[in-house]
Amino acid sequence: MGLAICWFMSTIEQEAGEVARGLRRRDPSLIDDLIQQYQYRLFRYLLMLTGSREEAEDLFQETWIRVLEKGHQYQQRWKFETWLFTIARHLAIDFMRRRQPQSLDALLQPTGANRPLELADTTSSSAFDQAFQGEEAASVATALRHLPPSYREVLTLRFHEDMELEEIARVVDSPLSTVKSRLYRGLAMLREWLKDLSA
Amino acid sequence: MRDDIHERALQLVDKRQVEGLTAEEHNWLEAHLESCAQCQKGALETERALRALRSAVPRFDVTLVLTTQMRARIRARELIENAARMRALWISCTLSWLLGVVSAPLLWWGFEWVGHRLAISRAVWMTGFALSWVAPAVVAAAVIAWRQARGSSVTEPR
Repeated sequence: MGLAICWFMSTIEQEAGEVARGLRRRDPSLIDDLIQQYQYRLFRYLLMLTGSREEAEDLFQETWIRVLEKGHQYQQRWKFETWLFTIARHLAIDFMRRRQPQSLDALLQPTGANRPLELADTTSSSAFDQAFQGEEAASVATALRHLPPSYREVLTLRFHEDMELEEIARVVDSPLSTVKSRLYRGLAMLREWLKDLSA
Repeated sequence: MRDDIHERALQLVDKRQVEGLTAEEHNWLEAHLESCAQCQKGALETERALRALRSAVPRFDVTLVLTTQMRARIRARELIENAARMRALWISCTLSWLLGVVSAPLLWWGFEWVGHRLAISRAVWMTGFALSWVAPAVVAAAVIAWRQARGSSVTEPR
């Protein structure tokens, strides 16, 4: 068992090393592969963060361009997806800030009068309805529309990406306690909304 | 049963999903859920909410990947070409500096000779020597700094 874990960890590290070397070389075929590999996960994260399909698509492209430009900064001891989502998040915040200038603190607030990360929710009531498919897509879309973006963000990182809490804290650049409280509140809100919708 | 016991059970139901339970908490919760229909319902609602969340798959436009790959390839080429240009500039700067060091004694004698011939004060011809020796490096450094500032202003991260 211990040997298997060691082998698995060394394989992961080896892969991260190859990614780091490829990014330093700006290897186009490596970028192509990474885009293919992370397409759904990155798009879903951006969709949950912005609540807008169009913005998620724009940010998807910008994220990969930024990965290429900043690839030499990536280190193999980091998990690639953590680094990728951090870049995507920074770009999303920059994007929102350009559209609605205010402080970073205000941008990260889960509640409040202005929710700049929730642009699509204020302009289109069906942003998530159009974006999701699946058995309970309509109910989930409605529930997600009512959740603050910072709650949606941690929910997707935890329950879609299966990230550890520490990794989530690194991506969202917040203390572990904040991540936990957002997860608990987000989960409670999601449960309540789905319960109401099915009632 | 007291209300705080049910409250604790529901908290543990969420904790199980968010951060995991200790063996003791797990055993306590399982025992409680077996005997409490209300909390069992709460646990099922949580599981259902997470199942629904996980089952929602975003619709994905395949052309987005192709467009992104094409943009990335173009940008990669630009960056590689830019790096090659910068490398050439660095090499020429280094060579120019080496040449400057090697030729410094000759230049010194030259300035000294001209200074004597034209009866220029020592301070003036020495300043001339210093400027002529340092000027190429200063110009090259300014060009590199300017180019790097231009490049980084385009790709500066937050």
